[in-house]
Amino acid sequence: MSAEPADPVLELDQLSLSFGGLSALSGLDLRVSDREVVSVIGPNGAGKTTVFNVITGVYQPSAGDVRFAGKSIAGQPPHVVAGLGVARTFQTLRLFMNMSVIENVMAATYGRTKAMPWESVLRLPRARREEREVRALAEEVLSFFGQRLAGYRWDQPAYSLSYANRRRLEIARALATRPRLLLLDEPAAGMNPAETHEVTELIGRLRDERGVAILVIEHDMHVVAGCSDRVVALDHGVKVAEGGFDQVASHPAVVEAYMGRHPEDLAEAAE
Amino acid sequence: MSVESQGPQVGADEWVARQAHRREYLPSWLGRAQRAGERVGWWPRLAVAGLAGLVLPLLGIGGFQLQVGIDALVIALLAVGLNIVVGWTGLLDLGYVAFFGFGAYGYALLSSAQIGTTGIHLPYYLSLPIVLIGAALLGLAVGLPSRRLSGDYLAIVTLFFGEAFVEFTNNVAPSKLGGPNGITSIDPIKIFGIQLTTNASYYYLLVIVLVVTMAVLRLLDTSRTGRAWRAVREDPLAAAAMTIPVNRVKLLAFACGAMVAALAGTIYAAQQASVFPTDFDTPILILIYAGLILGGAGSIAGAVTGALVVMVIYDGLLRSPAEASYLFYGLIVLTLLAKLRPWRRLALVLAATVALGFAAHAIAAAISASAVAGGPQSGGWIADALRYWVIVPANAQVAGNFGFVVLICLLVALVQVSSRWRTILLPPTLFLASFVWETRLVVEPSITRQLMIGAILIVMMNARPQGLLGQRRVEVAT
Amino acid sequence: MSFFFQELVNGLTTGALYSLVALGFSMVYGVLKLLNFAHGDVYMIGAYVGFFVIQWFGGAAHVSIPVPLLLAIMFVLAAGLCGGLGVAIERFAYRPLRDAPRIAPLITAIGISFFLENAVLLLFGTQYRIYNTPEFISLSSGIRIGSVTIDSVQIMVLVLSVVLMAGLQLLVNRTKWGKQVRAVAADREAAEMLGINVNFTISMTFFLGSALAGVAGVMGGLLFNQVTNTIGFIVGLKAFTAAVVGGIGSLPGAMLGGLLIGLAESFTIGYISSTYSNLLVFALLIIVLLVRPSGLLGRAQLQKV
Repeated sequence: MSAEPADPVLELDQLSLSFGGLSALSGLDLRVSDREVVSVIGPNGAGKTTVFNVITGVYQPSAGDVRFAGKSIAGQPPHVVAGLGVARTFQTLRLFMNMSVIENVMAATYGRTKAMPWESVLRLPRARREEREVRALAEEVLSFFGQRLAGYRWDQPAYSLSYANRRRLEIARALATRPRLLLLDEPAAGMNPAETHEVTELIGRLRDERGVAILVIEHDMHVVAGCSDRVVALDHGVKVAEGGFDQVASHPAVVEAYMGRHPEDLAEAAE
Repeated sequence: MSVESQGPQVGADEWVARQAHRREYLPSWLGRAQRAGERVGWWPRLAVAGLAGLVLPLLGIGGFQLQVGIDALVIALLAVGLNIVVGWTGLLDLGYVAFFGFGAYGYALLSSAQIGTTGIHLPYYLSLPIVLIGAALLGLAVGLPSRRLSGDYLAIVTLFFGEAFVEFTNNVAPSKLGGPNGITSIDPIKIFGIQLTTNASYYYLLVIVLVVTMAVLRLLDTSRTGRAWRAVREDPLAAAAMTIPVNRVKLLAFACGAMVAALAGTIYAAQQASVFPTDFDTPILILIYAGLILGGAGSIAGAVTGALVVMVIYDGLLRSPAEASYLFYGLIVLTLLAKLRPWRRLALVLAATVALGFAAHAIAAAISASAVAGGPQSGGWIADALRYWVIVPANAQVAGNFGFVVLICLLVALVQVSSRWRTILLPPTLFLASFVWETRLVVEPSITRQLMIGAILIVMMNARPQGLLGQRRVEVAT
Repeated sequence: MSFFFQELVNGLTTGALYSLVALGFSMVYGVLKLLNFAHGDVYMIGAYVGFFVIQWFGGAAHVSIPVPLLLAIMFVLAAGLCGGLGVAIERFAYRPLRDAPRIAPLITAIGISFFLENAVLLLFGTQYRIYNTPEFISLSSGIRIGSVTIDSVQIMVLVLSVVLMAGLQLLVNRTKWGKQVRAVAADREAAEMLGINVNFTISMTFFLGSALAGVAGVMGGLLFNQVTNTIGFIVGLKAFTAAVVGGIGSLPGAMLGGLLIGLAESFTIGYISSTYSNLLVFALLIIVLLVRPSGLLGRAQLQKV
């Protein structure tokens, strides 16, 4: 076993972002290692989605660095970052609504395939082979969700799916990019308790069966408690706590950020 | 998990999912034909359509009709190319006709006596690739603003570009580009040793080229490129997050669309044997759009069908007043049949219209002879049938103009009012429509057909935005 | 040097005209996020209205009423009819499509523009209609500064434009109705929930914008003399460019943009050649869109991801 510590999958180094006079992120340090689930919590407006946007290249940081597997990716355009192995889902759910379920997933493999348009038209061997592989990958990724996104669903348009299935499809689509790091933005938003429980299990399965590192933004503490290896709390763009769930949940700064000054309720959710 | 015939359940969406997804087929027997066609498969349908196209002239169409066919096929080819940019990638390119012009002018310059003393007379198999590559580069150039511009702005910029092309060919380097007089004496196309000189030959060439282009585009649509284009239309931000290089994909769409348009341009230039700047102005662009919108943006078959329908009506309307009238009255009757339910209401409206007409005509004739002195201008048996129904005064123009304005106001009102008022307003509106048709519209077919194109765009977007063969889109407000 | 000032005057005059039309574009874009392609054709109809008023009162050479009264009738009638036309277009074509994907109202607007141009062709024919302004307004009663002439028509155009633009600014910034317009432009659903009658506000916006375009149409007829069914197209494009250059959605921006486009056009015609004036306007548009997409006075739109 090598004595060298491997590079963390993701490293945020004193990351800062300002919009005009408004400071969205300040001096944020964060590491995520392989096969680790890190949850990011904090009140609305704390900057959680902003962190995702900076990592994935939607925004350029004002200061600091973002490193993926040791290499700086700050300021790279989104499709390049995605191609390197960072995939995400969106808080507001951004599927390709009018494309079919399987096309949604297959579309995400664009960056991993190389066939040129004329190769596709002439159905040259490389194009045919890639098309078969893409289809197989899509089917495999969709079957990860079991009966939910089963075979007969594949050719139906995405808009015909129920809300929970749409969220699952979005995760499936992200998985099709073969990511090393998966960014899930409020995957349990709008779900009932049963579905929320499924999401918690799903995140665990993603880590164990597919070996991805996961960064999760969540508001639902059941999910956070159930699946995180580590929790990071943000408030006003600054990290205020980090550690295990119990540690962070009872941290005074976190409690104050969420609730004011009554820690009893937050402690109850941890049970 | 058994879900057959369980009906809708709370918490289980399998039943919903199992219904055929909500495609809005065309009504009644057209929809049945559509579903049957879908079961057959895309490639067999293309083969059937292609064969039908090839066989059509053998059924005895000639002369004028062949020219209509050629024009229709050119517009169909352009619509299919525009579909790449607008239908698949969702970029509103209002300067598309400039690529058509580029192709035509490019071929005209390379294969005619225009340049130098005797001209460059490149054979088609050389000038076509050169023109296509040039068009692709031009498409890339025009597409560059799309990196930063949203839909509306891109539309205006491309519109400007289209205008710039017309001004350019009109004003710049008249000795080389021919100025307003264009370029004439363009070489005919010569491929595989055959020189195409007759209209029929160009017709067959166009059918073959169109079928091949449709096939190529179908192959593209079902590949990673097509998926990327459509993903960019759905949500460019999400597409980028899913490894799709959005800007490159948009540029590719522009380039491909430009190449198809340029291809159409070369054939057009060869068949016409001349090109003029006004051949590539806004009215032609609107024609292409009308065809694409009518047929259904996003669908290859839709683009072709819509373009063919539009062009047959557009050119056919010029042919004879009688035929135009069949179309006009036929359309009205069909719309009434389709939209007026139940049967009693339809019968009531028709009866009232007929009665109103005869009564009005009789009253007008009693008041003044000159009020009904002119006859219906349609010609044919329609004119005879309407002679004592529609009022056509001796000096029809001014009255007809007034009637036109009133008719527009009535139509606007018809859309706004409630159902009962609509039934009451319909008979006078129909009578007035016939009046305006007989006095003005049928007399000025070149303007009427333009009005019809504008009306197609307006009506389609309001009534059936996905077009005849398109699929209804779901857009999530972001 | 006097040539420069003469071109400056000409540019400001046409610029004022473009500003009036650009204001309509900007207002409608502000409340509906829609590019009203048919707006240029409303200008064209205004020009025709003015022409027919002149004919009604005896024609350019034998006007039967005092000229100031004639002009007043022309402007008021054009404003009223065009305003009404704008409201009708909105109710008929754009309102049903308010929640449709953005391409639908755009295509409809193109259809309306095309339809209007051809309807005018059907009604009034292809011949150019000539205002013959010098016949009823003595151009010599203008101002002369050195060798620079500002004729009476130009003065009237400038003064009227300033008055109208000032009036609009007052209306939008100081009245309750103006506040409603700004609210609807900011967030239509929220405005509705606050009790603002959104449909009425939008209709009024269209009325005002189209009325201004109608007035500009009469001015155009007086300045440029020739009226035909296609004048709306180019003026519309230039007015749109003006609105974008100034910052779409911003009224002062539209005014500024209009002046800039008018001046640019005027100086190009004067110093280079009239063939390139349209191309230059196009170039201006491209440059502004690439360098500063929100325009000179506009605010950048932030998109929440």
